[in-house]
Amino acid sequence: MNIFVVILFLAVVVGTVLFHILSPWWFTPLASNWSSIDNAILITFWVTGFVFVALGLFLVYCLWKYQYKKNRKVEYKPENKSLEAILVVVSAIGVIALLAPGLSVWNDYIKVPKGAAKVEVLSYQWGWNFRLPGEDGALGKTSIHNITDDNPYGLDLNDPNGKDDLLVQDADLHLQVGVDVEFLLRSIDVLHNFYVPEFRAKMDMVPGMITFYWFTPTKTGEYEILCAELCGTGHYAMLGTVVVEEESDYSNWLAQQTSFEQILAQNKIKNKTIQLAEK
Amino acid sequence: MPEGDGYDYKIEAKAYTASSSGASVSPAESPDQELYHSKSWWTTYVFSQDAKYIGIQYFCAATAIAVLGLVLSVLMRVQLAYPGLNVLDPSTYYQAITMHGMIMVIFFLTALFLGGFGNFLIPLMCGARDMVFPYVNMMSFWIFLLSLLVLVASYLVPGGPTGAGWTLYPPQVITAGTPGNLWGLVLMLVSIVLFVVGFTMGGLNYVITVLQARTRGMTLMRMPLSVWGIFVATIIALLAFPALLVGGLMLLLDTVLGTSFYMPAIIATSNFGNEVSTEGGSPLLFQHLFWFFGHPEVYIVALPAFGIVSDLISVHARRNIFGYRMMVWAIIAIAALSFIVWAHHMYIAGFTPWFGFFFASTTLMIAIPTGIKMYNWLLTLWRGNIRFTVPMLFALAFFITFLNGGLTGMFMGNVGTDIALSDTYFVVAHFHFTIGIAPVLVVFGAVYHWFPLATGRMLDEGLGKIHFWITFVGAYMIYFPMHYQGLQGVPRRYFEMYNSSQASSSGLNEFITIVTIVVALSQLIFFYNIINSARAGKKAKKNPWDANSLEWQTPEMPPKHGNWGRTLPVVYRWPYDFNVPGASKDYIPQNVSPSQVRGAKAERT
Amino acid sequence: MNRSTLPKGWDGFAHDWAADQKVFKGMSWGKAMMWIFLLSDTFIFSCLLISLLTGRASTAVSWPDASVVFGLEVFGVSVPLLLIAIMTFVLISSSGTMAIAVKYGYEKNRKLCTIFLLLTALCGAAFVSMQAFEWTKLIVHEGVSPWGNPFGAEQFGAFFFMITGFHGTHVTIGVIFLLIMARKVWRGDFDSGRRGYFTTMKSDYLAIEIMGLYWHFVDLVWVFIFAFFYLW
Ligand code: HEM
Ligand SMILES: [Cu+2]
Ligand SMILES: [Cu+2]
Repeated sequence: MNIFVVILFLAVVVGTVLFHILSPWWFTPLASNWSSIDNAILITFWVTGFVFVALGLFLVYCLWKYQYKKNRKVEYKPENKSLEAILVVVSAIGVIALLAPGLSVWNDYIKVPKGAAKVEVLSYQWGWNFRLPGEDGALGKTSIHNITDDNPYGLDLNDPNGKDDLLVQDADLHLQVGVDVEFLLRSIDVLHNFYVPEFRAKMDMVPGMITFYWFTPTKTGEYEILCAELCGTGHYAMLGTVVVEEESDYSNWLAQQTSFEQILAQNKIKNKTIQLAEK
Repeated sequence: MPEGDGYDYKIEAKAYTASSSGASVSPAESPDQELYHSKSWWTTYVFSQDAKYIGIQYFCAATAIAVLGLVLSVLMRVQLAYPGLNVLDPSTYYQAITMHGMIMVIFFLTALFLGGFGNFLIPLMCGARDMVFPYVNMMSFWIFLLSLLVLVASYLVPGGPTGAGWTLYPPQVITAGTPGNLWGLVLMLVSIVLFVVGFTMGGLNYVITVLQARTRGMTLMRMPLSVWGIFVATIIALLAFPALLVGGLMLLLDTVLGTSFYMPAIIATSNFGNEVSTEGGSPLLFQHLFWFFGHPEVYIVALPAFGIVSDLISVHARRNIFGYRMMVWAIIAIAALSFIVWAHHMYIAGFTPWFGFFFASTTLMIAIPTGIKMYNWLLTLWRGNIRFTVPMLFALAFFITFLNGGLTGMFMGNVGTDIALSDTYFVVAHFHFTIGIAPVLVVFGAVYHWFPLATGRMLDEGLGKIHFWITFVGAYMIYFPMHYQGLQGVPRRYFEMYNSSQASSSGLNEFITIVTIVVALSQLIFFYNIINSARAGKKAKKNPWDANSLEWQTPEMPPKHGNWGRTLPVVYRWPYDFNVPGASKDYIPQNVSPSQVRGAKAERT
Repeated sequence: MNRSTLPKGWDGFAHDWAADQKVFKGMSWGKAMMWIFLLSDTFIFSCLLISLLTGRASTAVSWPDASVVFGLEVFGVSVPLLLIAIMTFVLISSSGTMAIAVKYGYEKNRKLCTIFLLLTALCGAAFVSMQAFEWTKLIVHEGVSPWGNPFGAEQFGAFFFMITGFHGTHVTIGVIFLLIMARKVWRGDFDSGRRGYFTTMKSDYLAIEIMGLYWHFVDLVWVFIFAFFYLW
């Protein structure tokens, strides 16, 4: 009967590896510059996979070889200092081999390249808004205390940089392929996380803070935005789309967006009519 | 052999004050405290001050709450795979993950390993008559029970339990978009505070018993690794729970008094139905406090499991544990490191980017002592004489499961790879392997191993094997595929399993749920086995596994009140003298003196 | 193991620690337990004070000036930190009386031991009363509350009431136990071997020393809280 147990553990080790190799479930196709993240994951798969197979097969070997026998000679050896020292050193080398690619990815991740286009993502329960700098290439200052119905992003009315900012009050963002983007992440209520599986990158959005990450979209197409930080009952439905497109399409889209100034003007007219109507 | 010396051991307080019973060794008793003697049925079985009973009470209470946790998980899995059945709605789903996570980590596993196994094993394995403060120890259990009641009561209050995830992150936990953001949250926090208070009472007992109440000859380096694991885990808990307590206290004040410890200015409605008017608080502060507790917490669960599994492997492989000293140092190293890695749960939480380098390095360093433990378990099996008993099967299953979960930790702990994987199903798979399945497998192994000691009867071996096969194979099949959903980018904590055109895991999803149901139902076999064997199981012979550690060397089995009869045992060796060259049997219990085993070439320990 | 046969240096230390029965030789269970408990409690207070530091660093409005908030007017002259100086003095003195009580406990001098225990409890009670006075003054007259603060950042009030409240609870519990101890000493429980009401266990004068450990700890913590809130 013991042989079944040996086979079970062999099957688990082999099955794990086979599942890994044959699995139809795998990375979503990458659409950003972060192939280095995928590569770091792959390196980690190789190293950890090797350790798993080595230790797993050794376990199976022991189970098979040393099944209970009445008069088996068992080794009595409490310690083997040199063997243990070797194992410590080997593990340390493995750890460093894994750490190096991980840290180098992180180093790139936190250094935004100069001249990256800025996009502000404003999250709320449960949806996404975006803000793009206008012609001046700079985003205006904001504060949560300025937020009103007329000024949904809380832009500082005295900051000239903000006037031409384009407000995308819709969970639909367009990006130009091949252009570095820096996302500036804001939340007005609770934690959220701006995540597009194809881009690999993510970062929490914390009320009271502006967090960031950057990437370069490398493949045109339409991708889904997910929220990756539990934010209440609507969390799972907090979806949106990012469209990555060629320059011409992108400029077309950009031209259709309204600036903060325009919105203020529209609101003024609207408010006037309301006032008139009330009178 | 000391078995059946045939002395009569009527327990009398007087006999314990000094043991001048003619032994050549000096008194083995610590004069600190006499033994408590119960007088009535109530104080013997219900308000018991005997650590063995308290341990069993803890075990039963923790297991009962785990059943709730398990039922919740089945409901969640059914919802994920068969949304059409509408067993849950978003609110109840999020309440279920919160309760499930909290119950499993804290109220089930922490209570079970420290309160359950700690109480049952520490005095017996150290050669003490009881815990050092039996009264405080009893209070510990009752406060724990109270905390369970408060926790369950949150299903009865308006709004139901909190649904913010077991991490309880503010501001979300307080705002109106989350179910149970007032009463549910208050009860959750009160329950946690009670748990910490109760745990501290028990924890002080475990620590002091190990430090100050061991028997003669029981040096620290002769303690079974089970005791080491539980002992170090208790110390971690005593130092980590304060952070949870303080974090929870501030959260409680933010909830009921409207303070702004964690609350920046936000635009959301609060639990009182009005706009939140808070200013200047920091949500990240809570995350730091929570994870300063939360990371050590996983080792509070893991270290006792490591310790117990070491003993199971050694006993059932009939071979000394390999590298005992390294095993002890690894436990201590892991414990120490666990206090400087907490922010690996916050790589993408928006903190100072430079922290990432530090915390990734410290985190991966833990792999070294953990690796040592894995190697040493293998090297214990190697050249051993392995008995495939049920406890051994569970120990082996633990090994593979923890190996897998530990290795996926290299993905999560490394900052660069975590960017893509965090908050996906990869995380769910990883932590269920490491702190979910693996420790639970150890619990099963430990129950099969020590059941005879607690009841005097053996658990049924055949049922045990069926239980083992379904649980191990099933649990592996539930969680292993989830890693690949994580690679696809499926986020965790989604009421509807995310399926896009690019990443579909349907099919897999239903499969996981069906296996979950099978595994959950198979636990009935286990409960049936326990109940049936306790009543009518095969009578166990003394020391049925031929183990060396002290708990099996009591004059009676199950041990009576006071554990050791008239005189405490004297310890002469470590608990791993299996197959010593020259010895007549393949094991030498710890309390066998060298003169009784002349010719055996045991190493000095 | 005989101490003289221990190896030298660290090795000897490790051997001594790891030897059988007791790690801390000659230390009673109760005392060891109090030390470990205080270690755990230290972590609680450290978490509170570290939270205060980080909380203070991230407020939106500036932190109020302590000497203004805690000023006390005596006969029309405002004296900054007067009340708090008295409070601190009282509490520190009570450490002294506690130490004397422990000494008389060792000498089994029941009468003096009781007196000094009661004196310590009195100081503790005075401290808590003054704290209650300060709280009322802040809340009622100055309008400082856990959720609002006219002098600046509202977190000031929140942290202040939480931390001093948590410490005050420690003092109050201490006072209650001091009174219980005083009664036991007075009645001679520690000599007669009378059993505890709840625990049904005998106890001895060591209990007073253990009580003293707790009391000194609570005083020590106050020094830190005092420094964090009032001096900076
Ligand atoms: C067969 C047994 C189990 C099943 C089927 C199960 C299933 C689940 C499911 C479906 C979730 C929610 C995943 C999501 O939506 O993100 C979850 C979360 C969780 N589970 Fe389990 N679980 C099991 C056992 C355990 C055990 C033994 C532990 C002990 C540590 C545990 C700890 C957790 C934790 C901490 C969470 C996270 C809760 C949160 O996201 O706030 N689970 N589990
Ligand atoms: Cu969300
Ligand atoms: Cu961790």
